[in-house]
Amino acid sequence: MVQTRLGRNESISGWMFVTPALVLVGLFMIWPILWSLWMSFQTGRGMNLSFGGLANIQRLGADPIFLTALTNTLIFLAIQVPIMILLALVFAVLLNSPRIWGRGFFRTAIFLPAVTSLVAYSILFKSMFATDGLMNHVAVGLGLIPAPISWLGHPFWAKVVIILAITWRWTGYNMIFYLAALQNIDKSIYEAARIDGIPAWAQFFHITIPMLKPVIVFTTIISTIGTLQLFDEVQNITQGGPSNATLTLSQYIYNLTFRFMPSFGYAATVSYVIVLLVAILSFIQFRVARERR
Amino acid sequence: MKLKAKARSFAQGVIMAGISVFAVSAAQAEDVTVWAWDPNFNGAAMQLAAEHYKRTNPDFNLVFEVFAREEVEQKLQTQLAAGTTQGLPDIVLIEDYSAQKFLLSFPGAFEPLNDTLDYSQFADYKVQLATVGDQTYSVPFDSGVTGWFYRSDILEEAGYGADDLENITWNRFIEIAKDVHAKTGKPMLSLDLNDPGMIVVMLQSTGSWFFDDNGELNLVNNPAFRAVMETYGEILQTPEIYKVVNGWAEYTSSFTGGDVASTITGVWITGTIKAADMPGQWAVAPIPRIEGVEGARNASNLGGSSWYVLASSDNMETTKDFLATVWGNDIDFYQEILVGQGAVGSLLRVREGEAYQSSDDYYGGQPVWQNFSQWLGEIPGVDFGIFTYEVRSAIATQLPDIANGGDIDQAIQRAEAEARVLTQ
Amino acid sequence: MTGVGFAKETGTLAAAGQYRRPARFQPLRFLKGVFVYGLLSLAAFVSIFPFYWMLVGTTNSAVDIVRGKANFGDHFWINVTNLFAQVDIPRVLFNSFFISILATVLTLVISSAAGYAFEVFRSRFRERIFAALLLMLSIPFAALMVPLFVMMAGVGLINTYTAVIAPAIANIFIIFYFRQATKAFPSELRDAARIDGLKEWQIFLRVYFPVMQSTYAAATIIVFMLNWNNYLWPLIVLQTNDMKTMVLVISSLASAYVPDYGVVMVATVITTLPTLVIFFILQRLFVQGMLGSVK
Repeated sequence: MVQTRLGRNESISGWMFVTPALVLVGLFMIWPILWSLWMSFQTGRGMNLSFGGLANIQRLGADPIFLTALTNTLIFLAIQVPIMILLALVFAVLLNSPRIWGRGFFRTAIFLPAVTSLVAYSILFKSMFATDGLMNHVAVGLGLIPAPISWLGHPFWAKVVIILAITWRWTGYNMIFYLAALQNIDKSIYEAARIDGIPAWAQFFHITIPMLKPVIVFTTIISTIGTLQLFDEVQNITQGGPSNATLTLSQYIYNLTFRFMPSFGYAATVSYVIVLLVAILSFIQFRVARERR
Repeated sequence: MKLKAKARSFAQGVIMAGISVFAVSAAQAEDVTVWAWDPNFNGAAMQLAAEHYKRTNPDFNLVFEVFAREEVEQKLQTQLAAGTTQGLPDIVLIEDYSAQKFLLSFPGAFEPLNDTLDYSQFADYKVQLATVGDQTYSVPFDSGVTGWFYRSDILEEAGYGADDLENITWNRFIEIAKDVHAKTGKPMLSLDLNDPGMIVVMLQSTGSWFFDDNGELNLVNNPAFRAVMETYGEILQTPEIYKVVNGWAEYTSSFTGGDVASTITGVWITGTIKAADMPGQWAVAPIPRIEGVEGARNASNLGGSSWYVLASSDNMETTKDFLATVWGNDIDFYQEILVGQGAVGSLLRVREGEAYQSSDDYYGGQPVWQNFSQWLGEIPGVDFGIFTYEVRSAIATQLPDIANGGDIDQAIQRAEAEARVLTQ
Repeated sequence: MTGVGFAKETGTLAAAGQYRRPARFQPLRFLKGVFVYGLLSLAAFVSIFPFYWMLVGTTNSAVDIVRGKANFGDHFWINVTNLFAQVDIPRVLFNSFFISILATVLTLVISSAAGYAFEVFRSRFRERIFAALLLMLSIPFAALMVPLFVMMAGVGLINTYTAVIAPAIANIFIIFYFRQATKAFPSELRDAARIDGLKEWQIFLRVYFPVMQSTYAAATIIVFMLNWNNYLWPLIVLQTNDMKTMVLVISSLASAYVPDYGVVMVATVITTLPTLVIFFILQRLFVQGMLGSVK
């Protein structure tokens, strides 16, 4: 008797604690996402929507801009995320070694970009990569490039700038996760490897990376979600240009709603593509993580 | 509207109960707020208008807010779509290309001014742009009549005088540009591959447009458009005659800073050119002509805009009186903004005024304003429709590929495919 | 949670000695050292340089900045004066702080309560609901913004603080963070409090909250930063100048027809300063929060 009453009271109090959060999640996440599903079957301009069946799906199939935005987003994902993760791993391993002098300084320095606001650092990068700007002076001065490059005016280089910028912002952030995980690895494993004469690079690939796998998978998923939502940087550095070379899915949704003639239904359809993509990629990454364990 | 109602029933209670809404302090009663985008041009003109009005209405106060043109349109669109008028200005500047889009998409959002202004006094094509049914909504402002603004000192150095640039074709233009580059090392133009404004200029000079008379997309089977793309492609594939710039600031500093020898754009650029303070080094020629298209002229239009009054203005009487008094009547004001900002206004009477007859020392003593009025009369008229920027965006996407020698016909087809999606 | 203390590095150097081999010059090892320090120094330089660029930019004219001038100039006061003339900075700073602080407080109250309850109270649906929440973590905001906008417009909340703050309050990351942290909360404390006759909400306020202070501190930093730097949603719902936040102001200034980068740089410094100061004062909590909030 006492047990059950206690249990019931407990569950009532438990619900009281959880309810505000659940209501808010319902109101601002679940309801919009369901509504967005409904909207994706509607067509029309502005607020005058009417049921359009699968018209938006058809439009999606014939939409070269959507394809460009999707490709750009996947290119950013496929190139930027591995580079960043690898760099973060290397820095983490180097800075985890007690033999490195000035670790504290290096850690702080490399982490510092993670403190900036996305819009603020985007504007710093935009000004550094101006056609007559700093990067061209430096690169030409060092002989890295023969003539100034129109960084933001050239489809290829604009992508490069975006990738550089995101890598700058997030490498230190990811490094922190690896540093934390590295501290939990038993030092004796490395001790044994060293005694067996295994070189440092082999230790990195055969001990460190497998040991860090869960964290690597985790940071990869976080970075994947982040990249699929990419907006602030492209909006403030390139505005998606030149010729849509850096247009991302998020930005396309924004443009469809607020820049061009408002097309709420179609924008909702495109946004569902991101939801699907995130779901699929997360699933794959989880599977990869599980299989090899 | 259905969606709105649903949202209200579901969300209102919860949200309202959550956190109280904070009131925003309203503007002073006599304040008239204006949104515009170019502090050297339309902003400067509006502020001068306010000064003129203050001579008779000392209490009048103009609150001028500058945003990039894209931001002005986005903010306007967002708020009108959301149905909130709080925070909207009394007067907003809208570019002619977007006028019909806003008037048709948001009926009731703008105040008709038929009782305020005598539209017969204004250039007819500007009035038509702002007319829906029998109501007209704008105070017609500037014309975007185009010119070829060039550095007379640089072209002289290369051996070209004003007569050599008069009424030429684009092919001749490219030859001259190559020659100027060979002799002076300066590219002729600066181009922003995100902004195909030059294509817009070329296309209207042929009398054709992105849409046909029924408002249908008209790119693939449009010979004029093809000729334009071919001409533009030839320029893009001659890299020594242009400098690639990115964004408006880089574009303007390319010619005010002396990196390039000229620019081809609307007369409204005068404010920027004069702000560079290089008197006597500049001159203006008519724009080149597209070859092989019947009716193509050495005159065109880029941009141009008008003032619109928001129906939500809580200061309607002052706003209307201000616009009617200065923008509808004040000849002196129009002469000042003509010379100072290059604002070729749409009030017809002004064109008989003194300023239009005078020569301009900044432009080496040329009678530039007379020239511009003459070119203005030669611009072929087109109906912009409601999707100009959507199509411009679709065309801009193809430019880097064309610069790399890509096939023009394929580019046109891709542009049409993209434009079709954006104009659904 | 594993704290990676940036500051607690001294002391490890001595311990490092034991790994060293006899001091004989080894060219390979020397080269490796040069490479490692070269790499780290380069990384540190690249990481810090944009901050230097930002500071230098505040002292240069717009023209000098886009022409790449990388030493200090004499335009600082002109830039500051221009910024304050163009933007009502006190008002904008108030907006930024007001939104960030209110959103942070509400998030912490509501999300920590939920995180705590998910760990402490048993219920049949607990794990299922929690799993559903975790799934929602991966819903990108871009997928929500269109319906959220229509919804906010429908109830007339466009251009209000409420529209910015309300969707930010239920933060699933923070719920998750608090659930993880609560695992370290000793259940004996709760049992003892119950025996003393405290109600559940009293236990939460009087026992849990004081014990978990450092968790709250770390979460405060993270949530504050999230809201301070938020861009896309405020960009959509905050429309008038007197409602704008610092982030919106720098974005708008930089996208003007002719952006005055000197002015933009001053605004950027003002925007970055609060988070930078918090980071340097509370490094360990900062890092702890970052690790915890997404773990």
